[in-house]
Order: sequence, then C-alpha cells, then structure tokens
Amino acid sequence: MEEKKHVGEVIQNAIKALQNFNSQNLKELSNQTIHSASLKQDSGSITLAVLIYTLSKIIERNDHLKVKNWNKLSKKIVQWLELSKDALEKNNLEKYEEHLKEARKTLSQISPNLKEYIKEVLRKAEINKASRIYEHGISMEKTAQLLGITQWELADYLGTKRIEEGYSTFDIKKRARIALEFFS
Amino acid sequence: MKVLICDSGILINLSLNGLLDILEKLKKDWNGKILITEQVKYETIDRPLNILRFKLGALRIESLLTKEIIELPSSLNISNEEIKRKTKELLEIANHSYKAKEGWVNIVSEGEVSCIAIGSILKEKGHEVIIATDERTIRLLFEDPKTLEKIMSKHLHQQVQFVAPYTNYSQKFNFIRTSEIVYVAYKKGLLGIENKQALDAALYATKFKGAAITFEEIEALKKI
Repeated sequence: MEEKKHVGEVIQNAIKALQNFNSQNLKELSNQTIHSASLKQDSGSITLAVLIYTLSKIIERNDHLKVKNWNKLSKKIVQWLELSKDALEKNNLEKYEEHLKEARKTLSQISPNLKEYIKEVLRKAEINKASRIYEHGISMEKTAQLLGITQWELADYLGTKRIEEGYSTFDIKKRARIALEFFS
Repeated sequence: MKVLICDSGILINLSLNGLLDILEKLKKDWNGKILITEQVKYETIDRPLNILRFKLGALRIESLLTKEIIELPSSLNISNEEIKRKTKELLEIANHSYKAKEGWVNIVSEGEVSCIAIGSILKEKGHEVIIATDERTIRLLFEDPKTLEKIMSKHLHQQVQFVAPYTNYSQKFNFIRTSEIVYVAYKKGLLGIENKQALDAALYATKFKGAAITFEEIEALKKI
C-alpha cells in the first residue's frame, strides 16, 4: 500500500518535472523507482524507471529542442502517465503497466530522424537501470533478465562503473592457492 | 575427476578481453574438465549469435565447445533433466533466503543456479569441483550471506533479513573468478604476454569486464 502511494507520487512528480524541463529531478525520481523495481521486479516499476531516466537524458542534453512537435509529444506522455497513476490508485496493475508501456511507445515513435537515437537512449537507460538494480544485490543474470538486456551488455557496462564490490568474503591468497592447486 | 564449472560471466569476461585461449592452454596439461550448463550455453553462444555486437565472441566460445575445451554435462553422463530438477530445487531455496517488508526478494536466476546444481550433483558423485563465477550475489550467498543482507538493507533502505535456508543447502563450494583463472594462467606462463605488467593489466581487465573483485584484492594477488 505504502509502496503504491510512493510510486503514485513519483509519477506525479515526474509529470511536473517533465513539464518544467527539470532533468535533475527526473533523474532522482528514476532512482527512487529502482528500490521498487529491485524488490517487486514488476515490469511496471522497471518501465517507469527506464522511461523517466530516458526523459531526463533527453532534456539534460537539450535534445527535446530538436523534436519539432515536442510539446505535443510531451503532453501525450503526460496523459499516459496520468492514466497509469489512476490505474495504480484503482489497483488495476494490468492497466498501470499497459499505460506505462504506451508512454514508452509514444517516446520511441518520435520523429523519424531521431527514432534511432531515442532507441539508443532507451537502451542505454535500460543498461544504466540494470546496473543500479545489480547494485541493490540482485544477481547479474537476474538483472539482465528483468531489463531484457544481455549479460554481455551488462558486464561491459558494469566494468566502467564503480559498483561497490568492497566485500572480500574469502581470503584472496587462499582463493588463489585453491585455484593454483586445482590446475596442478 | 577435477571439474571446473564456468558460468556465463566467466566466458563473457574472457571473450570480451580476448583471453579465451587461456582455457585452451590450461586444459592442455590438465587432467580435468571444464563444464558449462545448457543455460550458460544459451547466454554465451545461442543468444549472442543473433546479436551482431557479440556474435564474434559467441562464435569463439562455440569454437571452444566444438574443440571440447569446454563441455556440456552430458560428457559426464549427467542429464539435463537431472540438472533442471536440481536447479529448480536450489532456485526455490535461494529466492526464499532474503525477506524484505514486501516479501521474498528474487536474487538469482536459472543460469547462475544451474552451475551450483551441476556442482552439487558432481560433488555427490565424488568429483572435485570448483565453480567459476564473477557473480557477486551468488558468491556472497554461499560465502557470506550476512554481507549480502547488509548490502540489500543499505540499498533498499529497509531491513532485509537473511532467513537460514530450510533444507541442507550449506553444501560447501570453492569459488573462483576470471581474475583467479588469469592469475593461474600467468603463474603457469600461459598468458602469452612477456611483460612485467602483464598480470596487472590482465587482472584489471577482468575487473573492467564484470569480475566482482576489489582493487585491494587485485593488489594483493599481484604480490603473491
């Protein structure tokens, strides 16, 4: 119940941030949905996290200025977000997820010259969100599955990030000795 | 028999770093087998064969399979059904080990757990097994589940509780990462780079392609 209320607030704040071209707020809101995505692992939370992060990137880079009909597109996305919030409040999770997917679809149906670019931003957003879920303690394969990406992409990306790995659970000398003896 | 079980991350890491030949060299004078499960084969060969960016890597791994450098469990007369059964059992336990306010947290997936499953089956048959995985979560689950509890609690901003598993799941496994495989190759003179910095470079390369190893651990490895 509490989580649902929180997600509803995130959607409401994301609408405001989108209307105010506030990329920083959008990014923070996307991070807030990651807790929910890590716990519930539902496609709604994941779509929401990726969508909000993609919007933050588009606005941060002023790419929305390159889209002729951005205002119209933005309004359409807002409408889908509002519908998803309503569905969530009515406990209709199926509709909630469906409306979020429509919002994402609207974004990916942007003007033809930017279509490929947006596809790439969405893909990068998925990988970025995956790295955040991995950070929460979910395994690499599980995370890749949730985001619909491959472990190849995730491994490549994780290497460039300073993910907290500071957990030496086993003496490194002992591990190295075991490996050496095993291959003797 | 000695059996090294590789999960997807190991093969992906070695492939992305152009170090897959290490496995071939290690296998040459070693009386053991390197196994992968069907799930790992799917993630490292079958699926990336359809993705242009990773197709070459997949073909290189497939070539190792063709040359029997890496093999499937059937080479030790273990059926996929047996592995699937064990995987299902272990998956159920692993994903009922951490409890948050909202319920159980699904932390691992079939591919990763299939490596533990085949490891478990082989150990029961008396084989000497090491599981090679770059995965932080699966390693912590076995080596230090309380630390995983702390990580999850910290990032999820709530108390996540490790619930001691309800069956005999405490089977001990030795885990190594791509980093230790590279270390062994270096010690055996199989890295193929004649330079004092070769180990340093290779170890960091493994970290940057997904091995969960700390900077401190790498520095310690270099000094051994």
